Amino acid sequence: MEKNNNRLGWLFASPYLIFSTVFFLGPLIWSLYLSFTNWDLISPTYDFVGFKNFTKALGTPGVRSAFWVTYKFMIVFVPIVTAMSLFVAVIVKGLPKLKTVFLIGFFLPYLSSGVVASLIVKGFLSHTSPVQTFLRDRLGLDIDWLGGSFSALFVVAMIMAWKFTGYYALILTSGLESIDQEVYEAAAIDGVKDSQRFWRITLPLLYPAIYTTLILSFGATFGIFTEVYQLTGGGPNYATNTWQMEIYSQAFKNLQAGYASAIAIMAAVATFISIFVIRKILEMWGKRNGWV
Amino acid sequence: MVGSNSNIKLRLSIRYLIAIVLLVIMVFPYLYMVLNSLADWSQVDRKLIPTQFTLRSYQWLFTGGETGITRPWIHAFFNSVFVSLVSTALMMMFAIMVAYALAKLKFRGRDSINNFVLFHMFFPAIILIIPNFLIIQKVGLFDTYWALIIPKAMSLWGIFMYTNFFKAVPDAFIEAAKLDGASDFKILYKIMMPMSKSITTVVFLFLLMERWTELLWDMIVVRSDGMLTLNVLLSQMFGPYQSYPGPMYAGAVMLTLPIIILFIIFGKKFQEGMQFNLK
Repeated sequence: MEKNNNRLGWLFASPYLIFSTVFFLGPLIWSLYLSFTNWDLISPTYDFVGFKNFTKALGTPGVRSAFWVTYKFMIVFVPIVTAMSLFVAVIVKGLPKLKTVFLIGFFLPYLSSGVVASLIVKGFLSHTSPVQTFLRDRLGLDIDWLGGSFSALFVVAMIMAWKFTGYYALILTSGLESIDQEVYEAAAIDGVKDSQRFWRITLPLLYPAIYTTLILSFGATFGIFTEVYQLTGGGPNYATNTWQMEIYSQAFKNLQAGYASAIAIMAAVATFISIFVIRKILEMWGKRNGWV
Repeated sequence: MVGSNSNIKLRLSIRYLIAIVLLVIMVFPYLYMVLNSLADWSQVDRKLIPTQFTLRSYQWLFTGGETGITRPWIHAFFNSVFVSLVSTALMMMFAIMVAYALAKLKFRGRDSINNFVLFHMFFPAIILIIPNFLIIQKVGLFDTYWALIIPKAMSLWGIFMYTNFFKAVPDAFIEAAKLDGASDFKILYKIMMPMSKSITTVVFLFLLMERWTELLWDMIVVRSDGMLTLNVLLSQMFGPYQSYPGPMYAGAVMLTLPIIILFIIFGKKFQEGMQFNLK
């Protein structure tokens, strides 16, 4: 019986084991190896260059910007998406009718391809668009949205916020609905004012759901590629140059596979450490307030 | 008392109003896209709500209009459908199989595999893209359907979701079935699968949507016109065809509508499944 299960277990798990060997462990080692070479993706020969790729990468504006741009995106994107999804969740929570319709409706932006979202935004902000015409003629504002370093970053962050708000609102709504109504009644008896209700009761009880959305949204900033690739190509002057954008450009445009592998490793390390630190900070924040 | 009752009603209607306004704002970009794909070309990107309509953009997409260059839009659409469906089916099948082993079969090494899956899931995937591309190239799969399907045949997130779900199913079900002489394949197919309908809807929709809108990978492993997926084709046309915004919007509609329709069909089941997952 025990032996039989052993074979069956390995049989059922084998697709994953084969896959992870071929597309995860193997590539991981290969990537490490490549990062110490000067391979150009095409020629049959290449040399071992030691740590040269890493030291070179540290000095380039591309890599430096990739490192900082992620955190800039976080500063803009995470508060916006958290506030928006919280607001949506509070509004939709407990609506007696059409709640599902609303939630599904808010979720629809999540289904859009980054290419489509970029296309719409580009059209929306083009010189002749109704929005731009209005700003120019009525308010005297002639904004080159994708040409300014902050505004380009802001536009991409807003696309991301548009995309993720409904998804996170779904998580927050079920968090809100799992809060027992009696807690509010008990608090009212204890003299908690209506104005303090959100901060003193809802937020602490909602913390697990908020924690989930925060981790997801911080994580999402490390994967920004499509919108940036379509709208700005990482510009202007590296203002939206994300890790993925930089790796793509170096590996598949400049054909520096070895160098790009080194950048990919740096990106992975930066991502891993950042997420780890963010998790720790969020957990400490929750513990200190006694929410967890 | 009467006063507070009407107060509640007022509050509720304000909430409905805000919810509707918010929803309209959130869905507006889609509306803008659909209207612009149907708008007369003199109004594309010039009016918030176009007033004159034409099918020229869609026609242009298939004939190439005055450029005379026909782009394989329909072909790309079917590529997208084919690749996404096959990929997603494989991801689902493998996720269910592997998750059943990790959740319900006791075998030596299971805990190690479980830990490894978690490690793999949280590992920054960014590091793998160059060597994975090289593997595809080395084994001669560059520019084939296999290149689009095989590396996207396994979803760690899918395995994770199903493992959690199966763990919650009481062992008693399985033991009872075993006493009746059912094999593990049969248990998986006849007992576990029917029980997991709502989570299956959620996982299927998420995976399909992700596969359908994948850009970076699809962009680097195929080159020839006949192999492009719709998302990649649209992305390629993005720059050079900027002077033809109408057809671009038509292409965007082609890319967006199927997934939204599918999603609305499964809407109710999806919400049930999500609620289960979030608990």
